[in-house]
Amino acid sequence: MSQVAKRTRVRRLADSVLPGRVLPRRTVGGYANLIEARLRKLAATGSTGMLPMSGHGDGAIFFRGGRVVYAESTRVPTPARRAVGLAALGLVATDAGPASTGAELVVAPSFDRLVDMLAFTEPTIDAITELLSSESRYAKFRPSHYPPSGQMSPLPIETVLTEVERRRQVLRQLAPVVTTDSPVVRFAPRDPPRFQVSAAQWALLVRTGDGSTPRTLALALGRSVFGTTIEVYRLLALGLLIVPGHAQAITSGAPAHRPAEVMSFMRALSDAGGGGDA
Amino acid sequence: MILPAADELLAPVMAIDGFRLACLIDGSTGMVLATREFRENHDGPAPPTAAAGAADVINALNLLNGRLATGENLEDVMVTFSDSFFMVRPVGLDQQPQILLLVIADRQRTNLAMAHRSIRDFCASFTS
Repeated sequence: MSQVAKRTRVRRLADSVLPGRVLPRRTVGGYANLIEARLRKLAATGSTGMLPMSGHGDGAIFFRGGRVVYAESTRVPTPARRAVGLAALGLVATDAGPASTGAELVVAPSFDRLVDMLAFTEPTIDAITELLSSESRYAKFRPSHYPPSGQMSPLPIETVLTEVERRRQVLRQLAPVVTTDSPVVRFAPRDPPRFQVSAAQWALLVRTGDGSTPRTLALALGRSVFGTTIEVYRLLALGLLIVPGHAQAITSGAPAHRPAEVMSFMRALSDAGGGGDA
Repeated sequence: MILPAADELLAPVMAIDGFRLACLIDGSTGMVLATREFRENHDGPAPPTAAAGAADVINALNLLNGRLATGENLEDVMVTFSDSFFMVRPVGLDQQPQILLLVIADRQRTNLAMAHRSIRDFCASFTS
């Protein structure tokens, strides 16, 4: 007779057949590890299609010939013209026109061309970072769902996972100060010192209100959640924003507590185990 | 690198005498977008490490500039190591996203003034 409780056995059986397979909580990052294994398997078999994801971050990852060509999540900005996969899953409505052929990228000037490429790639990496960071579950791979064409250069899964891991390490560094969902408010001392901010930082400052978080600001501005979290962190370092509860550390605490001395892309790279190869 | 199609954009900076490595980096996220290496750069710097260091340097200098509040913009950074030059320049001032160009060149074979001019011209042509 089985030593496993009947209720547990029923749940395990249900988990194995339900579309959204629940991944075990055995270890920290267990969800992400199993999803990564699934992504590697899809890459190894040269799959083309869509892997739907559900959980905190609903979304999908598209493959073409075993390479990642697109991804999106409901928790990161998804402009209407890119909301193809979410619409296919019934998660958002879209009025997107015909898919881009990519021809317009050829005639654009260099910087614009680069920005166009980044405009498709950054949201994809941002979405995968979100999907692999939240307690997501993957559903059955759908080979019949073809990725939207003309989006971005197909990326090897290892390149994507390396970048996602680097971002996780950066977010881990920032976590004691600010997370993607930390509420932030503008800091307005009576005698404000002079500061100089970039246009991107100014856009964040003027939009910061009650209940603003890096994620809500990113969604409002249509920017990367990861990039916005870093920019919010920089504004915290300048003392222009505060996280309620952290005000003392930022404005009058010892220099060692100031957030400017916390984040390092190099440390994130070494913590992620990278730094050797491109 | 994340944008392999962007590698070709770096071809002009490979003409700099003593060229070793060039990267385009998204300064807001630290992500390496494109990389070109000299073919004999076997013992040279690893692109991800060099790019992460460049992004950290620019991040620190932007914070400094923010606190100084002199109304100036960061144009470029030149670092001299015993064997190489390490040059970083934002591609397009106050453009979003902030793309950084990193060039590493052999100190013995590079004329710093000429390299500086080449990088400046490359960035100007890139955004025009």
